[in-house]
Amino acid sequence: MSRTALRKVGQTVLQIPLWLYLVVSIYPLFWMVSYSLKNNDEIFVTNPFGFPTHFRFENYVNAWKQFNVPRYFLNSFVVSIVSTVLILLLALMFAFAVARMKWRFRSAVRTYMIIGMFMPLQVIMIPLALLVRDFHLTNTYGALILPYVAIGLPFSTMVFYGFLVGIPKEIEEAACMDGSSIYGLFLKIILPLALPAIATVAIFQFLNNWNEFTLAYILISEETMKTLPLGLLFFQGSYSTDWGAMGAVMTIASLPMVLVYLFLSEQVERAMTVGSAVKG
Amino acid sequence: MNNYLGNKKALAIFLLPALIIYSVVLIYPVLQTVFRSFYDWDGLSTPVFSGLSNYKELFGDPLLGTSLKNGAIFALVLVVFQIGLGTVLALICADPRTRGRKLLKTAYFVPVVLSVTVVCQLWIAMYDPTNGLINRLFSLLHIPYEQNWLNSPTQSIIAIAFVNAWQFMGYQFALLYAGVKAIPEDYFEAATIDGCSKWRAHLHVTLPLMRETFKFCFVIAITSGIGAFVQMLIMTNGGPGTTNYTLTFMIYRYAFMESNYGYACAVSVLLVLISLLATLVINKVFDRGQQA
Repeated sequence: MSRTALRKVGQTVLQIPLWLYLVVSIYPLFWMVSYSLKNNDEIFVTNPFGFPTHFRFENYVNAWKQFNVPRYFLNSFVVSIVSTVLILLLALMFAFAVARMKWRFRSAVRTYMIIGMFMPLQVIMIPLALLVRDFHLTNTYGALILPYVAIGLPFSTMVFYGFLVGIPKEIEEAACMDGSSIYGLFLKIILPLALPAIATVAIFQFLNNWNEFTLAYILISEETMKTLPLGLLFFQGSYSTDWGAMGAVMTIASLPMVLVYLFLSEQVERAMTVGSAVKG
Repeated sequence: MNNYLGNKKALAIFLLPALIIYSVVLIYPVLQTVFRSFYDWDGLSTPVFSGLSNYKELFGDPLLGTSLKNGAIFALVLVVFQIGLGTVLALICADPRTRGRKLLKTAYFVPVVLSVTVVCQLWIAMYDPTNGLINRLFSLLHIPYEQNWLNSPTQSIIAIAFVNAWQFMGYQFALLYAGVKAIPEDYFEAATIDGCSKWRAHLHVTLPLMRETFKFCFVIAITSGIGAFVQMLIMTNGGPGTTNYTLTFMIYRYAFMESNYGYACAVSVLLVLISLLATLVINKVFDRGQQA
Protein backbone atom coordinates (compact mmCIF):
# COMPACT_ATOMS: atom_id res chain seq x y z
CA MET A 1 0.00 0.00 0.00
CA SER A 2 1.28 3.47 -0.82
CA ARG A 3 1.86 6.04 1.89
CA THR A 4 -1.10 8.19 0.94
CA ALA A 5 -3.39 5.18 1.02
CA LEU A 6 -2.05 4.28 4.46
CA ARG A 7 -2.60 7.79 5.68
CA LYS A 8 -6.14 7.70 4.36
CA VAL A 9 -6.84 4.49 6.28
CA GLY A 10 -5.30 6.06 9.38
CA GLN A 11 -7.51 9.09 8.93
CA THR A 12 -10.63 6.91 8.69
CA VAL A 13 -9.66 4.87 11.74
CA LEU A 14 -9.10 8.07 13.69
CA GLN A 15 -12.63 9.17 12.93
CA ILE A 16 -14.23 6.02 14.33
CA PRO A 17 -14.63 7.48 17.85
CA LEU A 18 -16.72 10.31 16.38
CA TRP A 19 -19.17 7.89 14.81
CA LEU A 20 -19.21 5.62 17.86
CA TYR A 21 -20.18 8.58 19.99
CA LEU A 22 -22.85 9.51 17.49
CA VAL A 23 -24.42 6.10 18.22
CA VAL A 24 -24.11 6.65 21.99
CA SER A 25 -25.77 10.03 21.63
CA ILE A 26 -28.61 9.06 19.33
CA TYR A 27 -29.37 5.40 19.94
CA PRO A 28 -31.15 5.92 23.30
CA LEU A 29 -33.54 8.30 21.52
CA PHE A 30 -34.06 5.88 18.67
CA TRP A 31 -34.73 3.18 21.27
CA MET A 32 -37.32 5.43 22.98
CA VAL A 33 -39.16 6.17 19.74
CA SER A 34 -39.07 2.54 18.63
CA TYR A 35 -40.44 1.21 21.91
CA SER A 36 -43.21 3.78 21.73
CA LEU A 37 -44.39 1.74 18.73
CA LYS A 38 -44.00 -1.71 20.27
CA ASN A 39 -45.95 -3.71 22.81
CA ASN A 40 -44.40 -5.08 26.00
CA ASP A 41 -43.77 -8.45 24.39
CA GLU A 42 -41.67 -6.95 21.61
CA ILE A 43 -39.85 -4.60 23.99
CA PHE A 44 -38.98 -7.29 26.50
CA VAL A 45 -38.66 -10.50 24.53
CA THR A 46 -38.88 -10.64 20.78
CA ASN A 47 -37.34 -7.42 19.52
CA PRO A 48 -35.70 -5.29 22.21
CA PHE A 49 -33.07 -3.48 20.13
CA GLY A 50 -34.32 -3.01 16.62
CA PHE A 51 -36.83 -1.14 14.55
CA PRO A 52 -40.49 -1.97 15.30
CA THR A 53 -41.87 -4.55 12.86
CA HIS A 54 -45.41 -3.34 13.26
CA PHE A 55 -46.26 0.24 14.18
CA ARG A 56 -48.55 0.20 17.19
CA PHE A 57 -49.94 3.69 17.07
CA GLU A 58 -52.50 2.68 19.70
CA ASN A 59 -49.77 3.48 22.25
CA TYR A 60 -50.06 7.10 21.15
CA VAL A 61 -53.84 7.01 21.35
CA ASN A 62 -53.64 5.58 24.88
CA ALA A 63 -50.99 8.05 25.92
CA TRP A 64 -53.00 10.97 24.58
CA LYS A 65 -56.10 9.77 26.45
CA GLN A 66 -54.38 9.09 29.76
CA PHE A 67 -51.96 11.94 29.77
CA ASN A 68 -53.22 15.48 29.71
CA VAL A 69 -50.97 16.44 26.82
CA PRO A 70 -52.67 19.65 25.61
CA ARG A 71 -52.92 21.01 29.16
CA TYR A 72 -49.25 20.52 29.99
CA PHE A 73 -48.19 21.89 26.62
CA LEU A 74 -50.40 24.94 27.08
CA ASN A 75 -48.99 25.63 30.55
CA SER A 76 -45.41 25.25 29.39
CA PHE A 77 -46.13 27.43 26.40
CA VAL A 78 -47.77 30.28 28.33
CA VAL A 79 -45.09 30.31 31.02
CA SER A 80 -42.18 30.12 28.55
CA ILE A 81 -43.53 32.71 26.11
CA VAL A 82 -44.57 35.28 28.70
CA SER A 83 -41.30 34.95 30.64
CA THR A 84 -39.22 35.16 27.49
CA VAL A 85 -41.01 38.26 26.18
CA LEU A 86 -40.70 39.99 29.55
CA ILE A 87 -37.03 39.10 29.83
CA LEU A 88 -36.31 40.44 26.35
CA LEU A 89 -38.13 43.71 26.94
CA LEU A 90 -36.82 44.45 30.43
CA ALA A 91 -33.27 43.33 29.67
CA LEU A 92 -33.06 45.40 26.51
CA MET A 93 -34.36 48.48 28.30
CA PHE A 94 -31.93 47.96 31.16
CA ALA A 95 -29.02 47.37 28.80
CA PHE A 96 -29.92 50.51 26.86
CA ALA A 97 -29.87 52.61 30.03
CA VAL A 98 -26.55 51.15 31.12
CA ALA A 99 -24.79 51.03 27.77
CA ARG A 100 -26.02 54.23 26.06
CA MET A 101 -27.39 56.71 28.58
CA LYS A 102 -25.23 59.06 30.61
CA TRP A 103 -25.49 58.88 34.41
CA ARG A 104 -23.28 58.43 37.41
CA PHE A 105 -23.77 54.98 38.85
CA ARG A 106 -24.15 53.00 35.70
CA SER A 107 -21.12 50.78 36.17
CA ALA A 108 -22.11 50.02 39.77
CA VAL A 109 -25.63 49.10 38.69
CA ARG A 110 -24.26 46.91 35.93
CA THR A 111 -22.02 45.08 38.42
CA TYR A 112 -25.01 44.62 40.73
CA MET A 113 -26.86 42.91 37.87
CA ILE A 114 -23.88 40.67 37.03
CA ILE A 115 -23.81 39.22 40.56
CA GLY A 116 -27.00 37.30 39.78
CA MET A 117 -25.23 35.30 37.12
CA PHE A 118 -23.05 33.62 39.73
CA MET A 119 -25.84 32.74 42.14
CA PRO A 120 -26.71 29.06 42.16
CA LEU A 121 -30.46 28.79 41.76
CA GLN A 122 -30.75 26.56 44.82
CA VAL A 123 -29.95 29.43 47.14
CA ILE A 124 -33.23 31.22 46.44
CA MET A 125 -35.43 28.11 46.53
CA ILE A 126 -36.62 28.50 50.10
CA PRO A 127 -37.33 32.25 50.34
CA LEU A 128 -38.86 32.12 46.87
CA ALA A 129 -41.28 29.37 47.88
CA LEU A 130 -42.31 31.47 50.87
CA LEU A 131 -42.50 34.66 48.81
CA VAL A 132 -44.79 32.94 46.32
CA ARG A 133 -46.92 31.66 49.17
CA ASP A 134 -47.11 35.06 50.87
CA PHE A 135 -48.10 36.80 47.64
CA HIS A 136 -50.77 34.12 47.05
CA LEU A 137 -49.18 33.16 43.77
CA THR A 138 -48.97 29.44 44.54
CA ASN A 139 -50.31 27.42 41.61
CA THR A 140 -50.55 30.38 39.24
CA TYR A 141 -48.53 31.16 36.15
CA GLY A 142 -47.06 34.10 38.05
CA ALA A 143 -45.35 31.70 40.47
CA LEU A 144 -43.09 30.59 37.63
CA ILE A 145 -43.00 33.66 35.40
CA LEU A 146 -41.64 36.04 38.06
CA PRO A 147 -38.68 33.85 39.06
CA TYR A 148 -37.91 32.90 35.46
CA VAL A 149 -37.78 36.60 34.52
CA ALA A 150 -35.56 37.46 37.48
CA ILE A 151 -33.20 34.57 36.78
CA GLY A 152 -33.05 35.33 33.06
CA LEU A 153 -32.27 39.02 33.47
CA PRO A 154 -28.57 39.03 34.46
CA PHE A 155 -27.47 36.90 31.53
CA SER A 156 -29.69 38.64 28.98
CA THR A 157 -28.74 42.16 30.05
CA MET A 158 -25.07 41.24 29.66
CA VAL A 159 -25.58 39.92 26.14
CA PHE A 160 -27.53 43.04 25.16
CA TYR A 161 -25.00 45.28 26.91
CA GLY A 162 -22.18 43.72 24.92
CA PHE A 163 -24.14 44.28 21.75
CA LEU A 164 -25.27 47.83 22.45
CA VAL A 165 -21.89 49.28 23.52
CA GLY A 166 -20.56 48.31 20.11
CA ILE A 167 -22.97 50.59 18.23
CA PRO A 168 -21.32 53.87 17.11
CA LYS A 169 -22.01 56.94 19.25
CA GLU A 170 -23.21 58.99 16.29
CA ILE A 171 -26.51 57.11 16.37
CA GLU A 172 -27.78 59.20 19.27
CA GLU A 173 -26.55 62.45 17.76
CA ALA A 174 -28.39 61.71 14.55
CA ALA A 175 -31.55 60.77 16.42
CA CYS A 176 -31.32 63.90 18.55
CA MET A 177 -30.89 66.13 15.48
CA ASP A 178 -33.86 64.48 13.83
CA GLY A 179 -35.90 65.50 16.83
CA SER A 180 -36.60 61.95 17.90
CA SER A 181 -37.37 61.51 21.60
CA ILE A 182 -35.29 59.08 23.63
CA TYR A 183 -38.17 56.59 23.53
CA GLY A 184 -38.32 56.95 19.76
CA LEU A 185 -34.59 56.34 19.60
CA PHE A 186 -35.03 53.14 21.63
CA LEU A 187 -38.02 51.83 19.71
CA LYS A 188 -37.20 52.92 16.16
CA ILE A 189 -33.42 52.68 16.04
CA ILE A 190 -31.95 50.59 18.88
CA LEU A 191 -34.60 47.85 18.88
CA PRO A 192 -34.29 47.05 15.15
CA LEU A 193 -30.48 47.20 15.35
CA ALA A 194 -30.49 44.72 18.21
CA LEU A 195 -32.61 42.11 16.41
CA PRO A 196 -29.80 39.55 15.98
CA ALA A 197 -29.00 39.69 19.71
CA ILE A 198 -32.72 39.54 20.52
CA ALA A 199 -33.11 36.36 18.47
CA THR A 200 -30.20 34.70 20.25
CA VAL A 201 -31.39 35.62 23.73
CA ALA A 202 -34.97 34.64 22.85
CA ILE A 203 -33.96 31.10 21.85
CA PHE A 204 -31.75 30.71 24.89
CA GLN A 205 -34.39 31.87 27.36
CA PHE A 206 -37.25 30.01 25.74
CA LEU A 207 -35.38 26.69 25.88
CA ASN A 208 -34.34 27.29 29.47
CA ASN A 209 -37.83 28.20 30.58
CA TRP A 210 -39.46 25.37 28.64
CA ASN A 211 -37.26 22.74 30.30
CA GLU A 212 -36.94 24.25 33.77
CA PHE A 213 -37.71 21.63 36.39
CA THR A 214 -36.55 22.39 39.93
CA LEU A 215 -38.47 25.61 40.63
CA ALA A 216 -41.57 24.32 38.89
CA TYR A 217 -41.41 21.19 41.04
CA ILE A 218 -41.29 23.24 44.23
CA LEU A 219 -43.74 25.98 43.28
CA ILE A 220 -46.48 24.08 41.44
CA SER A 221 -48.52 21.28 42.94
CA GLU A 222 -51.89 21.72 41.21
CA GLU A 223 -52.37 19.18 38.42
CA THR A 224 -53.95 21.69 36.02
CA MET A 225 -51.05 24.14 36.40
CA LYS A 226 -48.22 21.69 35.83
CA THR A 227 -45.76 22.30 33.04
CA LEU A 228 -44.64 19.53 30.71
CA PRO A 229 -41.55 18.38 32.67
CA LEU A 230 -43.72 18.04 35.79
CA GLY A 231 -46.60 16.34 34.04
CA LEU A 232 -44.23 13.71 32.73
CA LEU A 233 -43.22 12.77 36.26
CA PHE A 234 -46.74 11.63 37.00
CA PHE A 235 -46.56 9.16 34.16
CA GLN A 236 -43.49 7.51 35.60
CA GLY A 237 -45.44 6.32 38.63
CA SER A 238 -48.68 5.30 37.02
CA TYR A 239 -47.45 3.80 33.77
CA SER A 240 -44.42 1.82 34.83
CA THR A 241 -45.96 -1.37 33.45
CA ASP A 242 -47.03 -0.09 30.03
CA TRP A 243 -43.70 0.75 28.42
CA GLY A 244 -45.21 1.44 25.03
CA ALA A 245 -47.48 4.20 26.31
CA MET A 246 -44.63 5.57 28.39
CA GLY A 247 -42.44 5.75 25.30
CA ALA A 248 -45.24 7.44 23.39
CA VAL A 249 -45.65 10.14 26.03
CA MET A 250 -41.93 10.80 26.10
CA THR A 251 -41.79 11.00 22.33
CA ILE A 252 -44.75 13.41 22.17
CA ALA A 253 -43.12 15.60 24.82
CA SER A 254 -39.75 15.67 23.06
CA LEU A 255 -40.81 16.08 19.48
CA PRO A 256 -41.53 19.84 19.39
CA MET A 257 -38.15 20.84 20.84
CA VAL A 258 -36.23 18.38 18.68
CA LEU A 259 -37.98 19.69 15.56
CA VAL A 260 -37.30 23.30 16.52
CA TYR A 261 -33.68 22.36 17.07
CA LEU A 262 -33.35 20.53 13.75
CA PHE A 263 -34.77 23.51 11.87
CA LEU A 264 -32.71 26.12 13.73
CA SER A 265 -29.68 24.08 14.78
CA GLU A 266 -27.09 26.77 14.06
CA GLN A 267 -29.01 29.46 15.91
CA VAL A 268 -29.84 27.19 18.85
CA GLU A 269 -26.21 26.14 19.30
CA ARG A 270 -25.04 29.72 19.04
CA ALA A 271 -27.64 30.83 21.56
CA MET A 272 -26.78 28.09 24.03
CA THR A 273 -23.04 28.65 23.82
CA VAL A 274 -23.08 32.45 23.84
CA GLY A 275 -22.87 32.22 27.62
CA SER A 276 -19.22 31.29 27.38
CA ALA A 277 -18.46 34.68 25.88
CA VAL A 278 -20.31 36.49 28.64
CA LYS A 279 -19.46 34.49 31.75
CA GLY A 280 -15.87 33.60 30.85
CA MET B 1 -26.65 65.79 23.96
CA ASN B 2 -25.82 65.02 27.60
CA ASN B 3 -29.19 66.36 28.52
CA TYR B 4 -30.78 64.11 25.96
CA LEU B 5 -29.06 60.97 27.21
CA GLY B 6 -29.31 61.96 30.86
CA ASN B 7 -33.10 62.29 30.87
CA LYS B 8 -33.95 61.24 34.46
CA LYS B 9 -37.52 60.22 33.78
CA ALA B 10 -36.54 58.08 30.79
CA LEU B 11 -33.74 56.54 32.84
CA ALA B 12 -36.19 55.47 35.54
CA ILE B 13 -38.55 53.99 32.96
CA PHE B 14 -35.79 51.96 31.30
CA LEU B 15 -33.99 50.89 34.44
CA LEU B 16 -36.49 50.29 37.19
CA PRO B 17 -38.65 47.40 35.93
CA ALA B 18 -35.65 45.10 35.52
CA LEU B 19 -33.98 46.31 38.72
CA ILE B 20 -37.10 45.86 40.83
CA ILE B 21 -37.92 42.33 39.67
CA TYR B 22 -34.28 41.29 39.92
CA SER B 23 -33.89 42.74 43.40
CA VAL B 24 -37.16 41.43 44.82
CA VAL B 25 -37.10 37.95 43.30
CA LEU B 26 -33.38 37.18 43.23
CA ILE B 27 -31.22 39.40 45.42
CA TYR B 28 -33.61 39.79 48.35
CA PRO B 29 -34.14 36.01 48.61
CA VAL B 30 -30.38 35.45 48.58
CA LEU B 31 -30.00 37.86 51.51
CA GLN B 32 -32.97 36.21 53.22
CA THR B 33 -31.29 32.83 52.92
CA VAL B 34 -28.09 34.10 54.51
CA PHE B 35 -30.02 35.89 57.25
CA ARG B 36 -32.34 32.99 58.05
CA SER B 37 -29.48 30.54 58.26
CA PHE B 38 -28.81 32.01 61.71
CA TYR B 39 -32.34 31.31 62.88
CA ASP B 40 -34.35 28.41 64.10
CA TRP B 41 -37.37 28.59 61.86
CA ASP B 42 -40.12 26.33 60.53
CA GLY B 43 -41.32 28.77 57.87
CA LEU B 44 -44.53 29.64 59.72
CA SER B 45 -43.93 30.70 63.32
CA THR B 46 -41.64 33.52 64.44
CA PRO B 47 -37.99 32.74 63.74
CA VAL B 48 -35.77 32.45 66.80
CA PHE B 49 -32.19 33.66 66.55
CA SER B 50 -29.85 30.78 67.13
CA GLY B 51 -26.45 32.10 66.12
CA LEU B 52 -24.21 29.53 64.52
CA SER B 53 -26.08 26.52 65.85
CA ASN B 54 -27.40 25.54 62.40
CA TYR B 55 -23.88 25.51 61.07
CA LYS B 56 -22.58 23.56 64.04
CA GLU B 57 -25.32 21.01 63.54
CA LEU B 58 -24.59 20.91 59.82
CA PHE B 59 -20.98 19.96 60.32
CA GLY B 60 -22.06 17.05 62.51
CA ASP B 61 -24.71 15.90 60.02
CA PRO B 62 -23.78 12.54 58.47
CA LEU B 63 -25.69 13.57 55.32
CA LEU B 64 -23.20 16.37 54.72
CA GLY B 65 -20.33 13.94 54.15
CA THR B 66 -22.46 11.84 51.81
CA SER B 67 -23.59 14.93 49.90
CA LEU B 68 -20.12 16.38 49.50
CA LYS B 69 -18.74 13.05 48.37
CA ASN B 70 -21.55 12.58 45.86
CA GLY B 71 -21.12 16.14 44.56
CA ALA B 72 -17.43 15.43 44.04
CA ILE B 73 -18.10 12.12 42.24
CA PHE B 74 -20.80 13.75 40.11
CA ALA B 75 -18.42 16.56 39.14
CA LEU B 76 -15.63 14.09 38.41
CA VAL B 77 -17.83 12.05 36.08
CA LEU B 78 -18.79 15.23 34.19
CA VAL B 79 -15.18 16.37 33.92
CA VAL B 80 -13.86 13.02 32.69
CA PHE B 81 -16.70 12.28 30.33
CA GLN B 82 -17.62 15.70 28.98
CA ILE B 83 -14.31 17.52 29.07
CA GLY B 84 -11.94 14.56 28.70
CA LEU B 85 -13.78 12.65 26.00
CA GLY B 86 -15.30 15.86 24.61
CA THR B 87 -11.87 17.39 24.01
CA VAL B 88 -10.64 14.32 22.14
CA LEU B 89 -13.79 14.27 19.99
CA ALA B 90 -13.56 18.03 19.36
CA LEU B 91 -9.93 17.77 18.23
CA ILE B 92 -10.71 14.94 15.81
CA CYS B 93 -13.84 16.65 14.57
CA ALA B 94 -12.03 19.95 13.96
CA ASP B 95 -9.55 18.26 11.64
CA PRO B 96 -10.29 19.66 8.18
CA ARG B 97 -10.39 16.16 6.69
CA THR B 98 -13.22 14.98 8.94
CA ARG B 99 -16.40 14.37 7.00
CA GLY B 100 -19.96 14.78 8.24
CA ARG B 101 -19.08 17.43 10.80
CA LYS B 102 -22.50 19.06 10.67
CA LEU B 103 -24.26 15.74 11.22
CA LEU B 104 -21.98 14.83 14.11
CA LYS B 105 -22.44 18.16 15.86
CA THR B 106 -26.20 18.06 15.44
CA ALA B 107 -26.46 14.49 16.69
CA TYR B 108 -24.39 15.29 19.78
CA PHE B 109 -26.50 18.32 20.58
CA VAL B 110 -30.00 16.80 20.31
CA PRO B 111 -30.09 15.50 23.93
CA VAL B 112 -29.31 19.03 25.20
CA VAL B 113 -32.69 20.37 24.10
CA LEU B 114 -34.70 17.53 25.69
CA SER B 115 -36.52 17.91 28.96
CA VAL B 116 -34.52 16.56 31.87
CA THR B 117 -37.58 14.54 32.92
CA VAL B 118 -37.68 12.72 29.58
CA VAL B 119 -33.97 12.01 29.75
CA CYS B 120 -34.16 10.68 33.31
CA GLN B 121 -37.11 8.44 32.52
CA LEU B 122 -35.46 7.18 29.39
CA TRP B 123 -32.42 6.20 31.40
CA ILE B 124 -34.52 4.63 34.16
CA ALA B 125 -35.85 2.37 31.42
CA MET B 126 -32.36 1.75 30.05
CA TYR B 127 -30.96 0.93 33.50
CA ASP B 128 -33.88 -1.41 34.28
CA PRO B 129 -32.27 -4.55 35.77
CA THR B 130 -34.34 -7.07 33.80
CA ASN B 131 -35.58 -5.34 30.65
CA GLY B 132 -33.19 -2.42 30.33
CA LEU B 133 -30.99 -1.80 27.34
CA ILE B 134 -27.74 -1.66 29.31
CA ASN B 135 -27.99 -5.07 30.96
CA ARG B 136 -29.23 -6.62 27.72
CA LEU B 137 -26.23 -5.18 25.93
CA PHE B 138 -23.87 -6.81 28.42
CA SER B 139 -25.60 -10.15 28.11
CA LEU B 140 -25.60 -9.87 24.32
CA LEU B 141 -21.84 -9.30 24.38
CA HIS B 142 -21.42 -12.08 26.96
CA ILE B 143 -19.84 -9.73 29.46
CA PRO B 144 -21.01 -10.69 32.95
CA TYR B 145 -21.51 -7.14 34.17
CA GLU B 146 -25.31 -6.96 34.47
CA GLN B 147 -26.45 -5.26 37.65
CA ASN B 148 -29.12 -3.30 39.39
CA TRP B 149 -27.67 0.02 38.28
CA LEU B 150 -29.82 2.43 40.24
CA ASN B 151 -29.98 0.37 43.39
CA SER B 152 -26.32 -0.02 44.20
CA PRO B 153 -25.03 2.00 47.15
CA THR B 154 -21.66 2.50 45.50
CA GLN B 155 -22.30 2.66 41.77
CA SER B 156 -25.69 4.31 41.41
CA ILE B 157 -24.21 7.79 41.86
CA ILE B 158 -21.94 7.16 38.88
CA ALA B 159 -24.85 5.79 36.86
CA ILE B 160 -26.93 8.88 37.71
CA ALA B 161 -24.10 11.32 37.01
CA PHE B 162 -23.60 9.63 33.68
CA VAL B 163 -27.14 10.56 32.65
CA ASN B 164 -26.33 14.24 33.14
CA ALA B 165 -22.95 13.76 31.45
CA TRP B 166 -24.65 12.13 28.46
CA GLN B 167 -27.37 14.76 28.12
CA PHE B 168 -25.04 17.77 28.20
CA MET B 169 -22.09 16.30 26.37
CA GLY B 170 -23.27 18.07 23.22
CA TYR B 171 -23.22 21.42 25.00
CA GLN B 172 -19.67 21.02 26.26
CA PHE B 173 -18.67 19.59 22.90
CA ALA B 174 -20.01 22.69 21.12
CA LEU B 175 -17.97 24.92 23.45
CA LEU B 176 -14.81 22.86 23.04
CA TYR B 177 -15.24 22.62 19.30
CA ALA B 178 -15.67 26.40 19.05
CA GLY B 179 -12.57 26.72 21.24
CA VAL B 180 -10.47 24.59 18.89
CA LYS B 181 -11.81 26.42 15.86
CA ALA B 182 -10.96 29.82 17.36
CA ILE B 183 -7.24 29.03 17.28
CA PRO B 184 -5.58 30.24 14.09
CA GLU B 185 -4.57 27.24 11.97
CA ASP B 186 -1.05 28.53 11.29
CA TYR B 187 -0.01 28.00 14.96
CA PHE B 188 -0.77 24.34 14.61
CA GLU B 189 0.75 24.15 11.13
CA ALA B 190 3.97 25.83 12.28
CA ALA B 191 4.32 23.23 15.02
CA THR B 192 3.82 20.32 12.64
CA ILE B 193 6.27 21.81 10.14
CA ASP B 194 8.81 22.06 12.97
CA GLY B 195 8.54 18.28 13.18
CA CYS B 196 5.93 17.94 15.92
CA SER B 197 3.56 15.01 15.53
CA LYS B 198 -0.08 15.96 15.27
CA TRP B 199 -0.93 14.94 18.83
CA ARG B 200 2.16 16.59 20.28
CA ALA B 201 1.21 19.76 18.45
CA HIS B 202 -2.25 19.61 19.98
CA LEU B 203 -0.80 18.96 23.42
CA HIS B 204 1.69 21.82 23.28
CA VAL B 205 -0.09 24.31 21.04
CA THR B 206 -3.84 23.79 20.78
CA LEU B 207 -4.73 22.82 24.33
CA PRO B 208 -2.80 25.61 26.10
CA LEU B 209 -4.44 28.15 23.81
CA MET B 210 -7.87 26.85 24.79
CA ARG B 211 -7.40 27.99 28.39
CA GLU B 212 -10.43 30.29 28.42
CA THR B 213 -12.69 27.59 26.99
CA PHE B 214 -11.47 25.03 29.51
CA LYS B 215 -11.94 27.47 32.35
CA PHE B 216 -15.60 27.90 31.44
CA CYS B 217 -16.16 24.17 30.83
CA PHE B 218 -14.67 23.26 34.20
CA VAL B 219 -16.77 25.85 36.00
CA ILE B 220 -19.94 24.46 34.44
CA ALA B 221 -19.04 20.81 35.06
CA ILE B 222 -17.93 21.26 38.65
CA THR B 223 -20.66 23.64 39.80
CA SER B 224 -23.36 21.46 38.26
CA GLY B 225 -21.86 18.45 40.04
CA ILE B 226 -21.92 20.25 43.40
CA GLY B 227 -25.48 21.43 42.86
CA ALA B 228 -26.89 18.26 41.29
CA PHE B 229 -30.46 17.51 42.22
CA VAL B 230 -33.00 16.72 39.50
CA GLN B 231 -31.47 13.41 38.42
CA MET B 232 -31.33 12.19 42.03
CA LEU B 233 -34.90 13.24 42.65
CA ILE B 234 -36.40 11.64 39.57
CA MET B 235 -34.28 8.53 39.30
CA THR B 236 -33.86 7.27 42.87
CA ASN B 237 -35.29 9.93 45.20
CA GLY B 238 -31.89 10.21 46.86
CA GLY B 239 -31.74 6.49 47.58
CA PRO B 240 -31.11 3.68 48.10
CA GLY B 241 -31.54 5.01 51.64
CA THR B 242 -29.69 8.30 51.69
CA THR B 243 -26.70 7.17 49.65
CA ASN B 244 -27.41 9.49 46.71
CA TYR B 245 -27.93 12.70 48.63
CA THR B 246 -26.42 15.93 47.39
CA LEU B 247 -26.37 19.41 48.93
CA THR B 248 -29.41 20.51 46.95
CA PHE B 249 -31.23 17.34 47.92
CA MET B 250 -30.51 18.20 51.56
CA ILE B 251 -31.97 21.69 51.08
CA TYR B 252 -35.04 20.22 49.46
CA ARG B 253 -35.57 17.65 52.17
CA TYR B 254 -34.96 19.86 55.20
CA ALA B 255 -37.02 22.76 53.85
CA PHE B 256 -39.92 21.15 52.07
CA MET B 257 -40.30 17.79 53.74
CA GLU B 258 -39.22 18.53 57.31
CA SER B 259 -40.05 22.26 57.51
CA ASN B 260 -36.66 22.95 59.02
CA TYR B 261 -36.16 26.15 57.02
CA GLY B 262 -33.38 27.75 59.05
CA TYR B 263 -31.24 24.66 58.79
CA ALA B 264 -31.95 24.30 55.06
CA CYS B 265 -30.83 27.93 54.61
CA ALA B 266 -27.53 27.06 56.26
CA VAL B 267 -27.08 24.24 53.75
CA SER B 268 -27.87 26.73 50.93
CA VAL B 269 -25.24 29.15 52.18
CA LEU B 270 -22.70 26.34 52.29
CA LEU B 271 -23.63 25.36 48.73
CA VAL B 272 -23.06 28.91 47.46
CA LEU B 273 -19.76 29.19 49.28
CA ILE B 274 -18.50 25.90 47.86
CA SER B 275 -19.62 26.86 44.34
CA LEU B 276 -17.91 30.25 44.56
CA LEU B 277 -14.78 28.69 46.01
CA ALA B 278 -14.68 26.13 43.20
CA THR B 279 -15.07 28.91 40.60
CA LEU B 280 -12.27 30.93 42.20
CA VAL B 281 -9.94 27.94 42.39
CA ILE B 282 -10.58 27.03 38.75
CA ASN B 283 -9.86 30.60 37.68
CA LYS B 284 -6.68 30.68 39.74
CA VAL B 285 -5.44 27.36 38.38
CA PHE B 286 -6.03 28.32 34.77
CA ASP B 287 -4.63 31.83 35.15
CA ARG B 288 -1.47 30.49 36.77
CA GLY B 289 -0.98 28.25 33.74
CA GLN B 290 -0.95 31.39 31.66
CA GLN B 291 2.11 32.88 33.36
CA ALA B 292 4.13 29.66 33.25
